[in-house]
Amino acid sequence: MSLHYGDPQIAIGAVFATLALLLAGVFAVIGAQAGSEVSFDRVHRVGYWLRKRWLALLLVLGVVVVGISLFDLPYASGAAGRTMVKVTGGQFFWSLAPDRVPAGTKVRFDVTSLDVNHGFGLYDPHGHLIGSVQAMPGYHNRLDLTLEQAGVYRIRCLELCGLNHATMQGSFTVVAH
Amino acid sequence: MDGTTTSAPAQVLHPRAAAFTVDAHDVERRVGLLFAVSGLALVLLMGVLGLVMRLTQATVIGLSPAWFYRLLTLHGVGMITGVLLVMMGALWYVLRQTVPLRAGRVLASYGLIMTGVPAVLVATLVGGFGAGWTFLPPLPFYAAGQWSVWSESLFFVGNLLVGTGFFVFCLDVLQQTTSRYGGLFRALGWQFLRGREEAAPPPQAIAATVVAIDGLLSMAAGMAIVLGLLGRTYDHNVGIDALVAKNLVYFFGHSIANLVIYLAAAAVYVLIPRYAGRPYETSKAFVAGWAGSLVFIATAFSHHLYMDFVQPAWAQIVSEVASYGALLPVAVITIYSMTMLVWGSNFRWTLASTLLYVGLAGWAIGGVGAVIDSLIPINFRLHNTTWVVAHFHTYLILCVVVWAFAFLAHLLERNADRSTSRAGRNWTIGLILVGGYGLTGTWFLEGMLGIPRRYALQPPGTAGYSLVGSIFALLLALGFLCLSLQLVPLARAAWKRRHDARVRDVEPRPVETPRRDGVPLATPAQLAVGAAGCVVGLAAFFPQIVEASETSVRYHHLDHAGQFLFGVVLGLLLGSLPVTSRRLGERGALGLATVVVAPTLTMLVMVPRFYEPLEAHPSEHVLYHLAMAALGLVTGVAATRLGRISGRFAAFLAVGMAVMFAAAMS
Repeated sequence: MSLHYGDPQIAIGAVFATLALLLAGVFAVIGAQAGSEVSFDRVHRVGYWLRKRWLALLLVLGVVVVGISLFDLPYASGAAGRTMVKVTGGQFFWSLAPDRVPAGTKVRFDVTSLDVNHGFGLYDPHGHLIGSVQAMPGYHNRLDLTLEQAGVYRIRCLELCGLNHATMQGSFTVVAH
Repeated sequence: MDGTTTSAPAQVLHPRAAAFTVDAHDVERRVGLLFAVSGLALVLLMGVLGLVMRLTQATVIGLSPAWFYRLLTLHGVGMITGVLLVMMGALWYVLRQTVPLRAGRVLASYGLIMTGVPAVLVATLVGGFGAGWTFLPPLPFYAAGQWSVWSESLFFVGNLLVGTGFFVFCLDVLQQTTSRYGGLFRALGWQFLRGREEAAPPPQAIAATVVAIDGLLSMAAGMAIVLGLLGRTYDHNVGIDALVAKNLVYFFGHSIANLVIYLAAAAVYVLIPRYAGRPYETSKAFVAGWAGSLVFIATAFSHHLYMDFVQPAWAQIVSEVASYGALLPVAVITIYSMTMLVWGSNFRWTLASTLLYVGLAGWAIGGVGAVIDSLIPINFRLHNTTWVVAHFHTYLILCVVVWAFAFLAHLLERNADRSTSRAGRNWTIGLILVGGYGLTGTWFLEGMLGIPRRYALQPPGTAGYSLVGSIFALLLALGFLCLSLQLVPLARAAWKRRHDARVRDVEPRPVETPRRDGVPLATPAQLAVGAAGCVVGLAAFFPQIVEASETSVRYHHLDHAGQFLFGVVLGLLLGSLPVTSRRLGERGALGLATVVVAPTLTMLVMVPRFYEPLEAHPSEHVLYHLAMAALGLVTGVAATRLGRISGRFAAFLAVGMAVMFAAAMS
């Protein structure tokens, strides 16, 4: 398992680390200032002025971030032109039919479970987690992905399913043209 | 009776705090100490289990997967129960200073929870139950040879007792805040928001009311699904709908874990001002923020189902908006306001106040990790990786557990009238910060790498991260050990001072008498609505509807829930009538016990194996349906003894439980 330039997880981690360090800095500054004596009226005046802007910033950020996220939802829509791959999870195996497709195929994974909840986590040939969907008994969750890269994709279980949860693996092959 | 322990805030508090700090009664201090010590003992024990699991993942310890999952399950339930206990005590301690909560109720709640704890301990350590603290159905019934029926049943009973304990606590909080402030809207401060009143309830009362409402809703869901699973243990033909069950489990599990921090926030509103010397008062922004939290806490849970694509898309989007929305009151009201209090206040740094301040940062940083993960496209890449473990451990360890120690330290410092050495507490807290953020940092990194959570054996080549995490976990453990040791001399000094120099001649703070705010259906119009509800409920007995409902277990159970509804509304109506109400008298404790026991019984007998033999005989079938209504009637009458708002809530939740129970069956 590794990360490479361009993986979204790197951007996610960088954003988090930046915000966490910023917050730590802010708390350190406030903590350092706590020993001084500033009139509470002044703190109120400046603090409430700043708070309105803080709220506005978080609201704008929320609208932008949540808004953008709605254009990138992983939920499947039309099935036209997609190759259906039936995925069945069970204690403690994955069964895929077919288990190989040509590179560049638009795949629809139709995922279900024979027994308990499992998590279908798909890792590309480099070991990057490229997406996941739950395998639920009695339900079919459909995951659409276009698999460009040839190689053996690994499937790991991402939902606690019992004793051998950690070793419940499968594979899926994408064949080069 | 209660006595006042100290006459005024002394040197551990800010000198200006004397103007607004209320002296605690013995009973408040004792309840606070009881909950804090019991809860922290559980937290420390569960922390050791966490360390053992991390060392197992690092291959330093050779624990078998079976034992790993036993410990994982126990760690989850035990840790949440431990911090819940401490924060319930903290809320009770600060809230009783303005709201007349009853010691009997909080002790009943404590007794229920402490009875549930050994049940979970035995179910996991002896019985081998290891389906995780989320026990996602139907996993408990697919043991793969690891646990037996008795251990899964005992685990459910343990959870049921813990949930019931919190339910009782929330019901008393709701009853007393709504009685004290004259109704639900007033207790939530909404009248103040509309500018109709000059005085608003204090922050801790508004926060407590919100926590109580969301706590009751989520506990009802939890009791419904746990009772459904208990029913399944003795009737293997019952099918559990995996999607509905998952929604109920997370509504229960996510909410209880989330509410812990909101319980704590209510206490922090009272404690931080004591060290800053600045009072914290209710503002319109505060009321609006907590109104938002009321909704967001109850709706954010379904982000756990983002990767269940069959969950309706609208529910996913609502959950994403709610998850982000939950950030706003926390960031703009709670954390921001507390830092405003601290800024330039000549803050009194003690062990308790330093922990309180450090905890604010833990909430903020953990919250950022949570909000990032709550965006659906990002969750698609991080779902059930260790990123999730990282963000919730950040705010649970570095905020909630830290605040749990802060609360105990506050009690001891006030009674000892001194704090610990500055160097000692700085080193100790430094160790906790390095160990804590180092531990969660390794999880964040592993999450980015896509390493799954809850793996007894780490994927090949990744055990090194666990080893680094384990080293930080050891530092964290050392930090908490040092912190616990620092509390010992404080406890000794507090004990000595209490016996040597107890101030007995101060006027005890007056405590209002707990009261009941009328009956659920008080006006003719409300009684008419009740009568109309009875007529509607009667439909559940119509032969055509009963017959039609027998096409599936779910519909059949919904029909039973309808019969129960009829009884509940009839009971509310009868119990609310002035003549009946006078005859029944107060009987609050009996009413409370009945609104818990009667719906529980209703659900336990609503299992096909039990009622199918009865349905073979028409007369017994009719009697069974009448029994459903009778249990409802008892519940409804009992609810009227809980007061106007709490009585309505209890009746609503009882029916809600029966409906949720029915919906989870297939």
